[in-house]
Amino acid sequence: MTGDVWVMLPLACLAGGAFAVYLMARLLTARNDLLALFTALIFGTALAAMVPLFALTGKETGFFPKTRFLLPAWGHFGEGGAFLRADPGALVVAGVALGLGLLVTLYSGRYLALDHRYETYYPLLLLLVTGLVGMVLAADLFNLYMFCELMSVAAYVLVAFRRRTAMAIEAGFKYLVMGSVGTVIILLGISFVYREMGTLALPPLSSPPMGGMGVPGPWIRAGVACFLVGLGIKSAVVPLHTWLPDAHGRAPSSISAMLSGIIVQSAFYALLKVSLGLGFPARDLGTLLIVLSLLNMTLGNGMALVQTYTKRLLAYSTIAQMGYIMLSIGVGLRYDLPGAIQAGFFLLLAHAVMKGLAFLCKGVCHFYCDATRIADLRGTALRMPLVAVAFSLALAGLAGVPPLAGFTAKWFILMGALRSRDGLGYVGLAILLLNSLLALGYYLPLIGTLFTPPSSPPMGGKEGGKKGRESPTEGERGGRIRVSPWMAAPIVALGALVLAIGLYPGPWLDWTADAGVYLLTVNASR
Amino acid sequence: MNVETMWLVTILGAPLAAALLLPLLRGRGARQAGWIAGLTAALSLIATFALLPALRRGDVPALSFEWIPAAHIRLSLHLDWLTFPFLVTEAAVTLVAIIYTWGYHRPDERTPIFYALLMLFAVGMSGTTLADDTFLFYIFWELMLVASCALIAVWGEGERRGAVALKYFIFTHMGSLMVLVGLMVLYDATGGDSFSALQAGVTLAPGLATTVIAFFIIGFCVKMAIFPLHLWLPDAHAVAPMPVTIMLAAAMLSMGTYGVLRFPLSIFSPAQMAPFAVPMMVAGIVSELYGALMALAEQDVKRIIAYSSVSQMGYILFGLGTLTYDGITGATLHVIYHAIVKALLFMCVGLVIRATGRRRIAELGGLGSAMPLVALCTAAGALAIAGTPPFCIFTSEWMIFSGGFHTAHIGLSVLTLFGSLLTVAYALWFVGRIFFGARPEGLTVDRLPWAMVAPMVLLAALALIGGLFPAPVFDWVAHELPLILGGAW
Repeated sequence: MTGDVWVMLPLACLAGGAFAVYLMARLLTARNDLLALFTALIFGTALAAMVPLFALTGKETGFFPKTRFLLPAWGHFGEGGAFLRADPGALVVAGVALGLGLLVTLYSGRYLALDHRYETYYPLLLLLVTGLVGMVLAADLFNLYMFCELMSVAAYVLVAFRRRTAMAIEAGFKYLVMGSVGTVIILLGISFVYREMGTLALPPLSSPPMGGMGVPGPWIRAGVACFLVGLGIKSAVVPLHTWLPDAHGRAPSSISAMLSGIIVQSAFYALLKVSLGLGFPARDLGTLLIVLSLLNMTLGNGMALVQTYTKRLLAYSTIAQMGYIMLSIGVGLRYDLPGAIQAGFFLLLAHAVMKGLAFLCKGVCHFYCDATRIADLRGTALRMPLVAVAFSLALAGLAGVPPLAGFTAKWFILMGALRSRDGLGYVGLAILLLNSLLALGYYLPLIGTLFTPPSSPPMGGKEGGKKGRESPTEGERGGRIRVSPWMAAPIVALGALVLAIGLYPGPWLDWTADAGVYLLTVNASR
Repeated sequence: MNVETMWLVTILGAPLAAALLLPLLRGRGARQAGWIAGLTAALSLIATFALLPALRRGDVPALSFEWIPAAHIRLSLHLDWLTFPFLVTEAAVTLVAIIYTWGYHRPDERTPIFYALLMLFAVGMSGTTLADDTFLFYIFWELMLVASCALIAVWGEGERRGAVALKYFIFTHMGSLMVLVGLMVLYDATGGDSFSALQAGVTLAPGLATTVIAFFIIGFCVKMAIFPLHLWLPDAHAVAPMPVTIMLAAAMLSMGTYGVLRFPLSIFSPAQMAPFAVPMMVAGIVSELYGALMALAEQDVKRIIAYSSVSQMGYILFGLGTLTYDGITGATLHVIYHAIVKALLFMCVGLVIRATGRRRIAELGGLGSAMPLVALCTAAGALAIAGTPPFCIFTSEWMIFSGGFHTAHIGLSVLTLFGSLLTVAYALWFVGRIFFGARPEGLTVDRLPWAMVAPMVLLAALALIGGLFPAPVFDWVAHELPLILGGAW
């Protein structure tokens, strides 16, 4: 085991941390706040351990005929094989995951009082992120599969975490069944690939696939198809998305934030990496992604329009936003535009922040007001002005209202689609614009509901029942709720980020710039 | 940072700072909030006028920072002659609307937020006119939508305010998206982002240029509420609280005109614009006649004036569509004068509603003796909007018609005159029904606060003075033409 130890360090932190937290919960204390603090510390350490990695990975300076990348790898074996290899796109995904994980952990420090089983929650959360980071960093198919399974299993359990409700069990089970089908198909794909190549190593995109053996044969093609389906299920590509609204709608809000914010996107990055790495031509992959993205956007937005539960609405919005990301990356791959891929990664980052914020705000409403339906959110502005404002920022950002993060991302995505100078690109552009109009139809009423006084009649759906702690004698001022700082701090941080990313996108764009260039080196190398 | 830059920052910065700081007052400063908002609006107007000498000297006060270097986007503001008439209109309307709000709005816990949103709305409008790059332009363009939509959704009148706000947002956002596509094509074509770069060298394929112009014109026509893109306007105007209605009708509609002047007209050559001349003129006439007819048919006093806006925007589009010196000058003058008169008429309507508590014109009547001052000002407003000579709109309509008769389409120009006839009809009918005739049973008249009456009187006086001495305003507007035409026409 040789190579850059920095690549392995974040994973070691997370995996070791998961055991440490479990032991701490069993042996020392099972107090929620201490466990949350400790877990947050682990996330923080892992994030800090990744900082040198950001510096090590990137474009090689100097004069080369084509762009070359420094890709630190760990655990070399064989010819060009490695255990883990950092690349710019993976680092963006992993960095976002660790950052979001840190905030979600802090949030759980209070939110989890609803569920109590702290000693399993925090280790599972850490394992979830371990799997995610391992999957995007993995440099061979076996490791990718293992980490993908680790992430998925942790996710199944966490979706069904609120096990006292039948709905959560059902959602978890559905997720488990569909996810397992996906994993089995991935496994099948791996066997196909192994049959032809005799190795599971996934070379860097900048080097020729299969040691330059030429055109991929039928087995590899079949393998790539299996990966597209298997990882497509995990990244909720329509029509393989059916598990997502249930899973994201019924998991605890903190987990939904992770699932919607980054888990789905990380599976999508794995899909890109594997299919490009196995020699699937970037142009064809781009075309495929553009076509699928149109389905994702339209179906996601259309279904979100008719939801009555806030979290299901947000889940469908994730499907739509995945469509935007796919469109942008697809345009970039098809037309060789690094800027468009960069825009896709920028939206991935912005979406993680906005959707994470939206789910966390929804969680606060659930925690204090027992609000699950959209209609239950009425009066939030009077009782928790901070949450209402942050929630509105998140939703307006998702709707693409300037100057928030979502708008800036959309601007660059549209710019990419416009630069395609081609029919399919323009169709994508038109459908994206129509969809952003359609999306206003559910984001705006949701914002409106937050600011509606609770006394006014509901906009449909069942009345009463869910009102919970709200009593008519509570005046408009008397009903104000003090939000616990454990929950308020992550919300404020994410809200500030929504504004910051939108108003000052420069550094974030720089951060995602290399990802675009790196994915396209695949064209130069073949 | 010289004095000019300072004033430039003040125009935007004062209302922006007020908008950000006012919510901190919470419920305590309900009264002070109004004063603070008024002061900042006044400061913004003063700063605008303080830059007039610089403009006369031939300077272009500007400000520019690096913003998103990766995409060559800069944060830049500038004030030129094309901006100035719109900026003055916007700042002045904001000021009178806020003074009117002092009387209109009963202070409560949320008052500071109300004023903050009004200031944000004003920032959106002045930012739109001041922005010197496309990204910033679009941000301000949408800010004015977001702020006004929030005002309608929360402070609107009636149960339907949420639905109306949603309709308003989606409808105008549709226009914004078309504008956005146009902006991005231009940005992509120049690789830079500032307007001067756009003006200097956009070379688009002929087909693309036509598409972009069409997108711009349709997109901006949504904001101008040209038939059949006007559907959001009557509802939004009728439901919005009165100060917001005043700002919407008198200032925000004109931003569409600014957009047409700033983008298609300034950037593309006359030859590229020529195919759009007749469609614009026809759309203008249709809108003009339709708005006037609907104003005749409408029962709600606020909606009558709202439809009158659709009609008046028709004149402006007609003037722009003539693509002649007279027509474009007339359209810009009409923006300013229409702002004065429309703000006046909405204030009068607001006072009638405030005094009587009724909105349907059938339930009103004979108020002339009870509120003579309001009757006088409404009559002045009605005469002005009908284009009667001593009042200001006469001047601008004259110019617009004259522009029309300079084109080859005399028939269309004659049709616009019919529009004027209908305007006279609804305006006089409106005044007659409210202030003359028998007073219906049980119609009582309440006392009116001075803060609502004073701006009305001021505007009525301005409508008259503007008509008697059009020279100064004419002078501002005349400077914009060389900017647009660039000597090419």
